[in-house]
Amino acid sequence: MAILDRSASPEEINNVVEAWLDQHWDTEKRCAKGEDSYDEKSWLTKVFEAGFCVPSWPTEYYGLGLSQKQSGIVEKAFAKRKAQGSARDRFHLGAITVFKVGSEELKRAMLPIMLTGPICCLLYSEPNAGSDLAGVRTKAILDGDDFIITGQKIWTSNAQEAEYGMLLTRTDWDVPKHRGITFFLFPMKQDGVEVKPINQITGESEFNEVFITEARVPRAHIIGSLNEGWTSFQTAIAYERLIMGQGITERRGKSKADSEPQLITLARKYEKYDDPTVRQKIAQALAYRELNGLNMKRAKQEIMTNGSSSLMSLGKLAMSRVQHGEAAIATDLLGNAALLDGDDYPDAANINFDAAKAYMNSIGGGTDQIQKNIIAERVLNLPKEPDLDRNVAFRDVKSS
Amino acid sequence: MSQISDEDRQALRDGFARYLDAEAHEEKLRAGIANNRGYDETIWQQMSEMGLLGIAIPEDFGGVGGGAIDVALVMEEVGGKLLPVPFTSTCVVATEMITRFGTDTIKKDLLQKIVAGELTVSIGGTGDFVSLSDDGHSLSAKPSVDGWAMSGQVSFISHAGVADYHLLGLKKDRVQSAYLVKASDAVSAERLSTNDPAQRLFTLNFSDANAIKLEGIDAEGINQVRMRGMAAVAAEQAGATRAIFDITMEYLRTRYQFGRPIGSFQAIKHMAADLLVEVESATSAALAAAKALDAGSPSAPKFISLAAFTCKDAFRTVSAQAIQMHGGIAYTEEHIAHLYWRRARAGLPLFGSSDEHREHYLKSREAA
Repeated sequence: MAILDRSASPEEINNVVEAWLDQHWDTEKRCAKGEDSYDEKSWLTKVFEAGFCVPSWPTEYYGLGLSQKQSGIVEKAFAKRKAQGSARDRFHLGAITVFKVGSEELKRAMLPIMLTGPICCLLYSEPNAGSDLAGVRTKAILDGDDFIITGQKIWTSNAQEAEYGMLLTRTDWDVPKHRGITFFLFPMKQDGVEVKPINQITGESEFNEVFITEARVPRAHIIGSLNEGWTSFQTAIAYERLIMGQGITERRGKSKADSEPQLITLARKYEKYDDPTVRQKIAQALAYRELNGLNMKRAKQEIMTNGSSSLMSLGKLAMSRVQHGEAAIATDLLGNAALLDGDDYPDAANINFDAAKAYMNSIGGGTDQIQKNIIAERVLNLPKEPDLDRNVAFRDVKSS
Repeated sequence: MSQISDEDRQALRDGFARYLDAEAHEEKLRAGIANNRGYDETIWQQMSEMGLLGIAIPEDFGGVGGGAIDVALVMEEVGGKLLPVPFTSTCVVATEMITRFGTDTIKKDLLQKIVAGELTVSIGGTGDFVSLSDDGHSLSAKPSVDGWAMSGQVSFISHAGVADYHLLGLKKDRVQSAYLVKASDAVSAERLSTNDPAQRLFTLNFSDANAIKLEGIDAEGINQVRMRGMAAVAAEQAGATRAIFDITMEYLRTRYQFGRPIGSFQAIKHMAADLLVEVESATSAALAAAKALDAGSPSAPKFISLAAFTCKDAFRTVSAQAIQMHGGIAYTEEHIAHLYWRRARAGLPLFGSSDEHREHYLKSREAA
């Protein structure tokens, strides 16, 4: 089915993808040619069958076997026409994880469904398992060919839309915490799954609580192996942090490469751009953002030549300093005006929103403090701190 | 643009790094500090053998025709070992000035000697190509039978005590001039006491010393020279930052207190992770600056400013925290950490302060 392969030049790839889009996608109406409105399932199926969903994956797994760089060309062509469905090999955490660590059976059964449906939601955190995610208490009990699930999850995006969730459960309570976890691809659309939105400090409700009461998941939907879910989960979380480090959590269209940075514009508007102290702060803030970009660029080059880069793990941490720092400067630039909020005060509303939203990066996907532990231990090879719960059966671990 | 292939560049760097790992150990650094030159002459000669001294010199004059990226890779290694060699002054700034503004006779004579390791140049006075300007100098040049005669006094000249030539900038009413003065009896050098024992700073006195005036100096040319000097310094600082960071990480893995390696404490780990961001940012900034220069990119001045303050500040922060993380052992003279810290502090005023460069950087981000 593949219409492109790794030997194709950048121009060839671009031409083939553009021609395909010309044939199938109506850029004006933002839907498939010949249709009146966007039907996600049928459009994604078309993209999937052409191999454009996951261009960097091998042909036997629904991709085109392209390099990361070549895949980027496919992605760009789709983005140019605002067509959905490409780059799922970069952003569909569920599909990526199943592809990387799922069994052959699971891949064959589920990847086509996952890649042509909404993205998976992440059923990781619990009220009592936040930074200490390996302390999950959601129960999975074997019953015939199914597991029966009971527990509560929190901080789940897209829980209403998602057809599947990546679920961390406890399957063995008599071994230390990391060894009794099983990772499932969990069907969301069933009785016993209740989704309740969370009101966030940003005023948004992107996240939900998910209450699971005796819901079922087939045994075949284990990602990886029974009781070895922690290992499979590492793949999923690594991709999540990678995506966050690229600043994907920021509002889109915030600043283009060549346009004047927002902080400068704001400083001019509030007549503080001549203040040398302000200028120093703005310059440093812009530098932190640009330096993170340069680090990530180096990371991508290293990944292309060596297959991996330790630099990648720094992106999310560095982005916290960027976002909190910029929000703090912007707040100071507004002065009294930052006290206001709401639609009548768009500058204040934006800045107050950004100040709150910055926590999305510095807490979400693992707090900065957890991220620093990870960098120190995995990148810098500093020794692990002794864990009090390391060799204790999970049922005997103290909890709040 | 560099004339060196990617493979050759990597090989050159690897070879130099291997040599330095074997030869440029701490005893040599300290022995160099104790002698009048300030550095180990055998290392300079080896750099000549490896073709490194002519890395930025065109092939026509015996060099290898490398670009800013090649200089940067060499300087990262130089910085990593804290080599107090006169590389930036001789092989970058003087080399660029002579290549751009020297007559063919001067180029043939001086550049080939630089490649051969037979000649070093110290740089001082005022002007954008001078890394340590001395606004209080009393230099004056007047025409003489042999060309020009230099008189007066100037301070803050690195490595001037053993330099074969002095390249002096005189900037007055925005007009830049530059003179080459050969070491002779008409030039006397007096060493200044410095905070970094590896730094060699001198006051020079000239009494009607013969001088060659470089002709055809233009602002854009000088700016290119300045940017290349700055890129070299930034790379040196980035390399030094990484080296003292690595030394510190090794200590954190091996030093035990409370029955466990001190690197297992989160208070220390979090410092380390934060510092790694600075280390990598310095490397990225230095490389981006060198690449922008070689590409002739209009963004080169922006990346040069970014690298200037990022690398200075990273080196200062990381070397200072290195002492803190080591604890008492690094409060001793015999530990190497303070030598990195002193070098970081010695680098702060080179080609202007971090605050000045932040200001330049901000201007470069404004809408045109």
